[in-house]
Amino acid sequence: MNLTIQIAHLYGNIMNTYGDYGNIVALRYYAKMLGIVVNDKIVSLGDPLVADEYDFMLFGGGQDFEEKVLAPDFRQKASIMQEYIENGGPMLAVCGGYQMLGQYFVMSNGEKISGLGVLPHYTVNQANSRFIGNITIKNSQTQETYHGFENHQGRTFLGAGEQPLGEVISGHGNNGEDQSEGVIYQNVFGTYFHGPILTRNGNLAKRLLKIILNRKLPEKDWDTLVDPLPAENF
Amino acid sequence: MKLKTHLAIVAAKTSHFILKNILHRSATAFPGKIALKIDPNLLQNLNEKSTTILVTGTNGKTLTTALCAKIMRTAGFKVMTNSSGSNMIQGIVNTLIMQQSKNHNNQKSVAILEVDEANMAQVSAALKPEFIVLTNIFRDQMDRYGEIYTTYDKILAGIKKVPQATLIVNGDSPIFQRNKPQNRQIYYGFDLTNKNENRQAPSNTDGVLSPTDHSILHYRFLTYANLGAYYSVTDDFKRPPLNYAVTKINNLTPKESEFEIEHKPFRIEIGGLYNIYNALAAYALACELGIKPETVQRTFEQNQQIFGRQEAINIKDKELTIVLIKNPVGANAIIDLMLTEKDPFSLGVLLNANYADGIDTSWIWDADFEKLHQASIKKVIVGGERYRDIHVRLKMGGFPTQDIEPDLTKLVNHLSNVPTKKIYLAATYTAMLQLREQLAKSGYLKGGF
Repeated sequence: MNLTIQIAHLYGNIMNTYGDYGNIVALRYYAKMLGIVVNDKIVSLGDPLVADEYDFMLFGGGQDFEEKVLAPDFRQKASIMQEYIENGGPMLAVCGGYQMLGQYFVMSNGEKISGLGVLPHYTVNQANSRFIGNITIKNSQTQETYHGFENHQGRTFLGAGEQPLGEVISGHGNNGEDQSEGVIYQNVFGTYFHGPILTRNGNLAKRLLKIILNRKLPEKDWDTLVDPLPAENF
Repeated sequence: MKLKTHLAIVAAKTSHFILKNILHRSATAFPGKIALKIDPNLLQNLNEKSTTILVTGTNGKTLTTALCAKIMRTAGFKVMTNSSGSNMIQGIVNTLIMQQSKNHNNQKSVAILEVDEANMAQVSAALKPEFIVLTNIFRDQMDRYGEIYTTYDKILAGIKKVPQATLIVNGDSPIFQRNKPQNRQIYYGFDLTNKNENRQAPSNTDGVLSPTDHSILHYRFLTYANLGAYYSVTDDFKRPPLNYAVTKINNLTPKESEFEIEHKPFRIEIGGLYNIYNALAAYALACELGIKPETVQRTFEQNQQIFGRQEAINIKDKELTIVLIKNPVGANAIIDLMLTEKDPFSLGVLLNANYADGIDTSWIWDADFEKLHQASIKKVIVGGERYRDIHVRLKMGGFPTQDIEPDLTKLVNHLSNVPTKKIYLAATYTAMLQLREQLAKSGYLKGGF
C-alpha cells in the first residue's frame, strides 16, 4: 500500500521533555504492519503551519519556561488550529500541549498564560506540589482501560462539550477532584499520560490510526484492517 | 569540638564498624544518618581544616570526583572523598567522619565531594567550599524535580551560599548562563576550531532556548546533547570564552579515549565522549589548584579502577561490560559508545523504576535506540522489573527478536550462552546493583559485590 501519514509534531524541538515522541514511534509501528509509512515534521517557533498538509498532529509536554515561550507563537496559529480541529483533524495533545489548547494555564510560579482558546478547558496550578505516579483510567464508552504515568503541576478542568478520555481508577487525572482524565473533543485527544500513552495502550493507538486513515482514505474498510493488528497493552 | 559532635562521631563509627565487619552490610549512609540525628550541625563542625571542593550536576559527578581525587593524591594532597558515590547529606557526613581520623600530619588536606543536586544548598552552606565543579544538567529523574530549570535552581541555591567560591563550569552547557551568579567563573569545554556547522541540536534535546531572547540556539558544533559552541542568531548571546579546552579528538573506542587539551595529548582508559568532559573538568580544577598538567596526564594514564561503572566482567569466555543508564542523554551517550565497538556484540538492557532509578520510565522513548541498527548486534536480551517497557521500546524501535529474561539467575546463565564474545549491558541503577549482586553470588565478580 503506497500510503503515507504526515504528522505535524508541534514544537517538538522544545516540548520534548517526557518521552512524548514515543507516540509517533508507536503509530509508525502499527502503520508499518499495514505497509503504511509515517513521516513526522517539526513545526515550531516561527514556522508556518499549513494544516492541510497533515493527517495528524502531536503536541507533547515540556517545561513551564518553554511552554511560556511558545504560547504567543501558537496563539498566532489559533484560527488555523480551530479550523483543523472543527473539521475533525486528528490530534494527540499531551500535558503542556493539552493545556495549551485550552483557555489559559497558570504556571507553578502563579503566572497566568493565555492558551489557544480553541477548547473550553482551563488549567490552574497547585502550590509546591505535583501529581506524580502511575495512573490507570477507564473509558466508559469503549470499556477500554489505559495505563500511564502522570507528572504534572497543572490541574485542568473540562468545559462544555468536552468528554474526558477516561475516569480515574487509580492516580490523580486532570485535577485530582472530579475523577476525569484527559479530554476527547471531535478527533482531539488530550491527556496527562506519559509512558507514552500510545506505546502502552495499543488499543488507543489503533483507534487513532483508524480515525486518521478513515479520514484520509474513507473508501477503504480500515476497521477490518486495523482491528486484528496485535496490540501492546500494559 | 563540642561534646555533641564527639558523640555523633563515635556513634557513626560504631555503627559503621558493626555494619561493615559484623553484619557485612553496606555502610555508606546509615552511620551518617545516626550522626546527624545526634548533632544536626555536624557538617559545619567536621570540616574546619580542609580545602573543600564540591562536584555537582546531573551526569558525570562520580567519575569527575574520582579523577579529581586521584590527581590530587598523585600531587601529594591528603584527600577525603565520597568515592562510593554516596552523595546525599548522610553519605557526605559519613565520608568526613570515617576519613578525617586518618589525617594527623601536616599534609595539605582537601575534601572532594560529589553532591546530589537537591542537597547542594545544605551541603554548601555547611562546608563553605572554595570550589564548585558543575558538570552538566540534563533531564534526570523528572519525577523528583520536574524540570531541568528546577534542578539548576537547586544548584544555584547552593552556589548563592558561597559567593566567594570559584565555579569550574562546563562552558558548553547553555543552562549555566541563566541567572548567572556573581562568583568567579572558570569555563571548560570543547574548542574544535575547524568546525562551523551552523546547526541546531537534534529535535529531542532539552534546554536549547537562549536565556536572553528565547530563540532556538544554533551551534558552531555540537559534542552531544545540547553541549557545544552555541550562539544566538538573533542577539549576541554565545558561549563564553573557555579557560580550558579540548582542542582535538584523536581516537575513541569503547575502552579508551585519546584527545588533546590545549594541544597536549591525553589518554583515559574509558570510552565515551562524555567522559572526556569529566576528564577535562578534573584537569581544569587541577590547574586551578596549581597542579601541573603533566601530573594530570600521568594520573589519567595510570588509571583503571576509577572507571568502575564501566568495568568488564568475565562470564566464562564472555566479556561483559555493564553501563549505567538513567536518562536519555546518558543513554544516547552509551549508545554512541557502543557504536565505537568494531566487533559484533550482544546487547542487554535492564530497566527498573525504583526511586533511585527514577520512577518514570518514559525517558526510554527519548533515547535513540534506533541508532543501534548501525552496530553489529547478534542478540538482544531485556530484563529488569520493567522488562515489558524496555521490550516494547526496542520492539517498536525495530528489534523484533528479543530474549525476555526478568529472572536474574537465569539472566546470568543466559549471558554466558550468547553467540558473541562481547556483551554490552545497559542497566538502570538498582537493576545494576541487583545484577552485580547476582554476578557476585555466581562467582563472576572478583572481590565480591
